[in-house]
This record gives sequence, C-alpha cells and structure tokens, in this order.
Amino acid sequence: MKVKVATKILEANDRIAVENRRLFDIAGVFVINLMSAPGAGKTSLLEKTLEQKTELKIGVIEGDIAGTDDAERVERLGAPVVQINTGGACHLDANMIYEVLGELPLDTLDILVIENVGNLVCPAEFKVGENMKVMLLSITEGHDKPLKYPLMFQESSALVLNKIDLVPYTNVDMEKIRKDALSLNPGLKIFEVSCRTGEGISEWIAWLKEISKKT
Amino acid sequence: MHEVSIALNLLEIITAQCRKEGYSRIDAVRIKIGRASGIMPDALAFAFEATKGDTIAGNALLEIEEVPLTGNCRDCGAVFTTEAEYVLACPECASQSFLMTAGRELDIIDMEVS
Repeated sequence: MKVKVATKILEANDRIAVENRRLFDIAGVFVINLMSAPGAGKTSLLEKTLEQKTELKIGVIEGDIAGTDDAERVERLGAPVVQINTGGACHLDANMIYEVLGELPLDTLDILVIENVGNLVCPAEFKVGENMKVMLLSITEGHDKPLKYPLMFQESSALVLNKIDLVPYTNVDMEKIRKDALSLNPGLKIFEVSCRTGEGISEWIAWLKEISKKT
Repeated sequence: MHEVSIALNLLEIITAQCRKEGYSRIDAVRIKIGRASGIMPDALAFAFEATKGDTIAGNALLEIEEVPLTGNCRDCGAVFTTEAEYVLACPECASQSFLMTAGRELDIIDMEVS
C-alpha cells in the first residue's frame, strides 16, 4: 500500500520554531541566533556588548557540546543566562530552545541572543524561532570563507567581522570578504569590530538598539 | 554533518503517519534530497540503517532522489541547472548574484506500508 507523505523532514523542528517565535513575540523580545566557527569570538562579542552599560536588557542562551564556561562568562556580567549542552550534536534545534524557555525572564528582556554551537555548516539549517540570524567571522579565519560556506552567509541578516585589530599581521583581504559576502547576500549588514580593543562595538550596539525597537 | 538528526526526524514522521493510517509496518520510503541541502545521501542512508533498529521501519528500504541545484541569475537573467553541490557564480555570466530556486529540498515523498 502506497501512502503519500509529502512532508518536510525538518517539519517537526520548524513547527516548534514557530511556537518559540510566538512565545518570543508575546514577551516582546527580539531574538538573535548567533552563529560562527569555534573560537571566532561569539562569547567575547556578548561580553563586550554586556560591558557597555546600555539600557538594553539582554538575555543569553549558550549552546555548546559540553561545559559551562561560556555561561559563566556571561553570568559574571549580570545577564540572565541558560547553558544548553547538546551532548555531541553539532547544532541547536528548536526543541532544545523550547525546553529552556521557562528558565529565562523573557518578559523583562529586550533581546535574547542564542549563541549556537561553533560550526559554520549545520546551525544554518535549523530554525530555532529567531527573528534573525547573525553571523560572526573572525578575520584570521581567512577571506575565502564566504565562498566556502555560502549558506551561512546567505541565511544571515548581519555579518560581524571580529579581530580587525589583527588585520596588519595577516594577509587577509577585507575587501574580498565584503565583496563575496555581499554577492551571496546583497542585503547583508556588515560590522567590523575588535572584541579585544572595543573598536566598532558602539556601532554594533547602536544597531542592536535599533532592531530591538521593532518588537 | 547532521545526518543522524535528519534520520531520526524522518523515522519519527513516517512511523507516526504509518500508525495513524492504521498500518503496522513500513516497507519502503522515498525522499528527496537537494544537492545543496548540506546532507550527504550516503551518510544519510547509513544513519537511517543505524537508527531504524526495532522500529516499525526496521526493514524499510530508503530510496533517495537527488534534486539538482537550479537558479536564476539576478544579473543576466539566465535560468540554470547544475549537477554541482554548490554554485558560486552564474554559469552564463559568472555573476555571484543569483537566486537558488531548487536544490535545498529535504522532503519525504511517500512510503510503502503494509
């Protein structure tokens, strides 16, 4: 007996993502899915952002395969944070997020940042209910990355280029990163920052304030 | 890279639908995988074999149809199809600005139940 199924394999994930998004909308919180390779500086960007005493109330969900180091770094700066350990999985999915939502004071937050598992491939495939995806690329990873990992650049609304204080010590071609990233995604908003020196962080925060007003 | 997650999602959907339709065994399932979905058919077939275990799909054959990548160029307007896993530029004019119209599928088509 042949039975038609006609379902997307990730339909269950997408359904939970829609439910997460509904809960975020009710709470009036703007949600960013922050993605990058391991060591690009996702947690450092969060630290730099939280260190600036702005009126923005930011909460964080930390996704890692193992450990609580990142959550501890963020908690030290006074932000509400939940750590998810995926136990080997290469990405966060919608259900992992759904299960921890009760542990965060969503109603009091302006922005929730979901720091995904460090990986330039899988996280782009799984919706978690975010308003937008933001990708971080450290310039030491090389200017060939947009064309090697196109999906990540196509799915993101903003690209934060980190470690720009190291540009003089590398052969990185910043123009090529910009050109290739924009050709993959003409609407991409690009920031250049150094989480070590603080350069460019104020532009990034000004943008966060602007987008969070939309909720 | 996350073929096991995909295999588990697939098993959950087909076993639930099989029971809902009042059948007790899945003999075969047909799926569509886009070339640019990031999923490797061989790895998915392996993950399916490894996870179907003692479910009602334990003896099911997995048939994978690969969908080529197609696109529309934003610059020259070309409509193209390729066997490549990724296209970085329009094959006609080499522009990197194009819209992918197919190739990211990860869909279940149908299944054979008894």
